[in-house]
Amino acid sequence: MELPILLDQLFPEGHRVAVDDWLVSGEATLGGRPVAVLGTTNDVFIGIREAVALSDRLLDIVEKSPGIPIIMLVDNNGQRMALDEELLVLPEYIAHLLRAQQLARNNGHKLISVVYGNSIAGGFIAFGMLADRIVSVPGAETSVMKLEAIARVTKMPLEKLQDLAKQVSVFAPGCENFFRMGGLHEMWTDDFSNRLQKILASDDAQDIRASLGNERGGRKAAQAVIAEVRG
Amino acid sequence: MKLTPRISFYEASARQRVAGLLDADSFREILPPTEQRISPHLGMFDAPVAFDDGVVVGEGTLEGKEVYIFAQEGKFRGGSLGEVHAAKITGLLRRAAIRKPAAVLGLFDSGGVRLEEANAGEIGSTEIMRAILEAQRAGVPVIGLLGGSCGCFGGSGITSSCCDALIASEEARLSVSGPEVIETVMGVEAFDSRDRALVWRTTGGKNRFLFGKVATLVDDHIPAFRMAAVALIKPSEPLSVESLRAERTRLARRIEDYGSCTDARQVWARMGLDADRVPDMTAAELTAVKPA
Repeated sequence: MELPILLDQLFPEGHRVAVDDWLVSGEATLGGRPVAVLGTTNDVFIGIREAVALSDRLLDIVEKSPGIPIIMLVDNNGQRMALDEELLVLPEYIAHLLRAQQLARNNGHKLISVVYGNSIAGGFIAFGMLADRIVSVPGAETSVMKLEAIARVTKMPLEKLQDLAKQVSVFAPGCENFFRMGGLHEMWTDDFSNRLQKILASDDAQDIRASLGNERGGRKAAQAVIAEVRG
Repeated sequence: MKLTPRISFYEASARQRVAGLLDADSFREILPPTEQRISPHLGMFDAPVAFDDGVVVGEGTLEGKEVYIFAQEGKFRGGSLGEVHAAKITGLLRRAAIRKPAAVLGLFDSGGVRLEEANAGEIGSTEIMRAILEAQRAGVPVIGLLGGSCGCFGGSGITSSCCDALIASEEARLSVSGPEVIETVMGVEAFDSRDRALVWRTTGGKNRFLFGKVATLVDDHIPAFRMAAVALIKPSEPLSVESLRAERTRLARRIEDYGSCTDARQVWARMGLDADRVPDMTAAELTAVKPA
């Protein structure tokens, strides 16, 4: 879904959101109250520079607008794959961005991810999957790895993978698969603004994805194992 | 001089590592293999399963202090994160947030998400990350130990980087995309994954130590990992705007200083080190010359 259309549908009361190359940031009004908007666009790869740019904005929000909800708009092509990025310890930059998100949560900000474009592997982890709640809108596409690449790495015939992908949700790309595994809390097709307000009205920021995956039948082991080990 | 025999972390199994790190006979495994929590997904790929799904979790003591520990088994499907594997680690971290042991030790040995369970593994890895951040919020430090034969890549690479501190040997490798993945996607000219020296100087323990991501560099010797872990246990420091601004400044400066480098040797030379010597130095020698 195109970013301007998404913004208008999410925030019919108005928004002041700037797009600088791949970085989306600003404010909007929802239910008469201000929310912060932070996102990515243009299928950006999340690398070391993107991570520090995003954490800078997040820390600004935490510092200057205590407690306001943060709406994360998710569109990326995965983590940036390059020797020079890994040379400088890319996982440390992504972990830093995750710590900034956790600081916001600890300080009472709600974090809601709205996936509206591609959202792939390490890019989705870095910016999207650690929100309190994660939703998709039409046009979103989540994936870890394409079936062709899985076939190449696991040396399994592509036809077999394509066949299995019709029966189970555990490995193939696609929002519906992610939803059944509990990786998306909700899939929206309309009424975005009201749905977003409804999520914001709930006080619960607990990670309930394993129980969603169990209820929806995609991930039936995780919740029980977590509970057994937790005690 | 009497030589101490080397007890290799790299060569050991997950259970041998746990036994060698903790106080003797103190380990109690949770959901041991006899409980047979196997992957519900591997069967449909006609792939072998393991009764522990490739990870050992439990509790024990370290110099008398109660610690929780998880250890990925690189010899089972590359230590990969499957649904059950990830859930065991998440459960242990949530247990830690409630019961507050002195620390959680995470022994990483993992190529990342298990591709046959790609969605479950990816979601599971982010459940682990959230559980680490929540354990830390409860004051419980999570200490990562890197030095297994499979390295620490993908979801495991990001997960381990969320730890309060990392201990690594020279043999450790840490990155998001593994060299083979970069080569497959971007081409061999982008990263020749068969060039072992290139792989290690780019992703290896020494590089990660010199950049400050690894707190303690040790030789490939389990008792050395143990001593380093003992020294690093202290309550997790609360996140604050100030601490994260400082972290961000440090990371942004690294990009300014080294962002134009295309090889670790350039980085080390810019740090004032003899780049030709670094690969041959012991952990103690490199620690002595590491720039502040």
